[in-house]
Amino acid sequence: MRKTIFRKKAVLLLALFAVSSILAACSPGTTEPADTQEKVLVVGFERDAETLNHIKTGWYSDALVYLYDRLISRDYDFNYEPGLAESWETSEDGLVWTFHLRKDVTFHNGNPLTANDVKWTLDTILDPETASPAQSDFAAIAGVDVIDDHTVDIILKTPFPNLLFVLSNTAAGIINQEAYEQYGDEYGVKYVIGTGPYMFEEWRQGDEIVLTKNPEYDWGPAWMANTGPSKIDKIILKTIPDENSRLMELLAGNVHILRDVPATFVDKVADEPDVTIHRGDATKLGYLAYATDKAPFNDLRVRQAINHAINKEEIITYVFRGIGTPAHGYLPPALKSEYYADSEKDGYAYDVERAKALLAEAGYADGLNVKLAAENSTEYSRLAEVLQSQLKAVGINADLQLYDSSSYTAMLKTGEQELFLRLYSWPNADILDWFLLSSQLPYPNHSRWNDSRTDDLIHAAASSPTWEARALGYHEVQKHLISQAVWAPIYIPEKLMAVRNEVKNLQYHPWLPQYNDGTDLITE
Amino acid sequence: MLKYTVKKLIMMIPVLFGLTVIIFMILHLAPGSPVDLIVGPNATPEVYENVTKSLGLDRPLITQYFVFVRNLLKGDLGTSILQQRPVAEMILQRLPVTLEVGVWALITSFALAIPIGIVAAVHRNSKLDYAAMSFALVGISMPTFWFGLILLYLFAFRLGWFPVSGYGTWQHLVLPVIAAGLTDAAVTARMVRSSMLEVVGQDYIRTARSKGLKENTVISKHALKNALIPVITLLGMRIGWIIGGSVTLEIVFNRPGIGRLMVDAIFARDYPVVQGAMLVLTAFILLGNLLADILYAVADPRIKY
Repeated sequence: MRKTIFRKKAVLLLALFAVSSILAACSPGTTEPADTQEKVLVVGFERDAETLNHIKTGWYSDALVYLYDRLISRDYDFNYEPGLAESWETSEDGLVWTFHLRKDVTFHNGNPLTANDVKWTLDTILDPETASPAQSDFAAIAGVDVIDDHTVDIILKTPFPNLLFVLSNTAAGIINQEAYEQYGDEYGVKYVIGTGPYMFEEWRQGDEIVLTKNPEYDWGPAWMANTGPSKIDKIILKTIPDENSRLMELLAGNVHILRDVPATFVDKVADEPDVTIHRGDATKLGYLAYATDKAPFNDLRVRQAINHAINKEEIITYVFRGIGTPAHGYLPPALKSEYYADSEKDGYAYDVERAKALLAEAGYADGLNVKLAAENSTEYSRLAEVLQSQLKAVGINADLQLYDSSSYTAMLKTGEQELFLRLYSWPNADILDWFLLSSQLPYPNHSRWNDSRTDDLIHAAASSPTWEARALGYHEVQKHLISQAVWAPIYIPEKLMAVRNEVKNLQYHPWLPQYNDGTDLITE
Repeated sequence: MLKYTVKKLIMMIPVLFGLTVIIFMILHLAPGSPVDLIVGPNATPEVYENVTKSLGLDRPLITQYFVFVRNLLKGDLGTSILQQRPVAEMILQRLPVTLEVGVWALITSFALAIPIGIVAAVHRNSKLDYAAMSFALVGISMPTFWFGLILLYLFAFRLGWFPVSGYGTWQHLVLPVIAAGLTDAAVTARMVRSSMLEVVGQDYIRTARSKGLKENTVISKHALKNALIPVITLLGMRIGWIIGGSVTLEIVFNRPGIGRLMVDAIFARDYPVVQGAMLVLTAFILLGNLLADILYAVADPRIKY
C-alpha cells in the first residue's frame, strides 16, 4: 500500500516535469540574427502598441512612422515638405487642395500607390461606420475626388491650412485598400502593408515588433540626405515596462535607444562612456488648470493670483533636476511660427505679494481651501507637493488627491475637479481647440472654459486662408488666454533620448527619429 | 474518488459563474473607460460617442453582462477593446510564458523546502535548524520583485551570466525561477518544519521508534506522510498563485505573460481582457484546491470522499 502511494507521487511529479518541459518547448524562441553583420537597431519602450491599424486606435506606435508614408512630411525644422505627394496647390478660396502623387511608389505587397488608395484611406477614416478615433482630426474634409491615377483633390468645408499638419500625422499614413480588405481583422496585428522605409515582419505582443528594411524604398523626401533604402537592416521595438530594467538593458547594450527618458536618467548615465543623452525641445507643456466655471476660479483675480504664486524656476530645479524651461504661454516655443513670442512679457511673474493682494481683492484675504488633483506618478506627485507648498505661501491650502490615469480622466469628466495638473504632448496649435472651445465641454475642455471670445478667435484662426494668417490668428488666441489666466502654465519639458554610441549619424527630429535617413550602427 | 473529482469539477461551474458577476461589476463600476485610451485626449465628444457605440459600451450594464455570458457559454471570451483581437488567443499566447516560470518555480520551491524543513525539524535547535530557519526568514521577508531586481543587477547586469529581460530560452528562466522559487521555498520550509515537529511528538512515532525502527524509516515513512497534509494545502494555494504571483515577476523580468497582460488591461480598462485573465486565474485557484483535495486522500488513507 505504502509503495503504491509513493509510486503515485512519483508519477505525479514526473507528470509535472513533463508538462513543464512541454510548455518550455512550446514557447517561441527568440530570433537571434544568424548573420552577425546584420544591423539590428533595438529601441526600448515602456508600452507596447495596441494595434498597428492606425485607423482603429489613437494609441500610435512608433512603428507606424516607419511602416507608412504620408502625403506630406516634416523636415528637421518642422516645415511641411513633400512626402508621397510631390507637389500640391490650393484653390483661391482655400477649399480645394490638389495633390500630385509620386509615380514611383509601391506598397510592401508590390501594388503601386494610386490616388485610389489615398481616397480610400481618408474616406474610411471619415466614415462614421468605421468609428475611427482619428475622425475628428479630418473633420474639415468634405470629400475626396480622384482626378487621375496620380492626382487627388481634397475638398474642404471651410479653409483649413492645418490640413498640412493633419496629412503629415501618423493617422494619415496611406494604406493599401486591397491589403486592408484582404486581411480583415488580422490587419494591424499579423499583417501591415504600407509604403514606408520599413516592412512589417513580426509582432510578438507584449514583447517586440520587428521591422525589416524595405530594399525597394527609393522615395524618401528630398530633405533627407538618404532618400534610398535605410542602412539599418532591422528595427526592433522592444517593450520593457519597468524603468530600471529598461535602463539596465540600455547599459548592457541590448537596447540601443530609449526615446523618452525621465530627467532622473540624465544623472544615472552621466558617467557611462557608452551612452549619450540627446536633448531637444519637446512639443509638450505642463500646466496647472482649474475649473473656471465655479467659485473661486470664476474670478479672474483668483486665477491671476494662482499664476503669480507659482515659482517655476524652483519647480524645474527641484522636481525636474534643472531640465526644462519655464512656460509662460499656452504653446511650447518648439512650434515656432504658431508660438506667441510675447508670452513671457504678457504672462505672470512669480510674485507672492501680488498674489496675496489679488486674493485679498477678490475677498479671500483669510485664505482659501481647495483640492489639488494629479496623476499618481513619481514626477507628478512631487510636482504637486511643491505646488502645494508654493500655494500655501500665498494663503491657498491645497488638499492633495492622486489618481491612476483612467480614474483621473473619469474624475475630470464629472466636473468635480478644482485644481488639477496636466501635461499635454502635441505638435500643433490646434491643441487649444481641443481643450478650450466651448463645444468641447465637459470633456476634453477639462478647465470648463466657456468663453465666446475664445471661441471666435479660435474659429477665425483655424479657418484662415493661409498658414501664416492662421499662425497670427493663434497668437491672438494665446494673448487672450494669457490675459484671462485660463490655466497656470508651469514648464516645458525637454525631449531626452538616451542613445548608445554604436548608433551613428542619428539626427534629432522634432517629431520622431528618422532612422532611414543615414542612421547607422557599428557592429563588432 | 473519480465521482468526487467529477462532482467537484461540476461545482466549479457555478463558482466561476458567480465570479463573472463580481468581476464584471467591479470592473465596470471602476471609474474610467477604455475609450479614453483609444481616442486619445484630442477627440471631440462626437467621436468619443461614436467609438463608445461601436464597442457596445453605450448599452446598459446588464445587457453588456448578458452579452458577455452568452458569448462565454459559447466558449467565446470576447474581443479585446484596444487590440481588437480575440481574448482567448491573447491568453493562449501568454499562458505558456507564465506557466514555464510558475511550474519550475513551484517544483524548485518544494524540492528545496521539503528536505530543508525535514532536516530542520529532525535536528531541532541545532545549528542546521538555525541556518535553515534564518534562510527561511530572509526568504519570507524579501519581496519577490525586490529579490528579482537584485538577482538581475548581480547576475544579469554586473556578471552578464543571464539575459536581463525577455523569454524563450532556459537562460531566461533561471533568474525568475530562482526569484519566485526561493521566496516560496522559505514559506514552505517553515510549514514543513512546524508540521513535522508536531507529528514527531505524536504517540505513534514513539511507538514506531520503540518497535526499533531505524530513525530514517520513522521519519520518511511514518512522520513525513502525516506531516504532508498542511504542505498539500499550501501546494494547492501555490498553484493558484502561479498566475496571481506572476504580475510583479513579469514586470521585473519583462516577460510578456498573463500577469502583465492583466495589469496592462486593468489600467487601460480593457474589460474583456481583464475578465478573461481573471477567469483563468480563478480556474487555477479552483483547480489547485481540487488537486489538494485529491492529494489529501492519496497522502492519508483515512481521508475518503
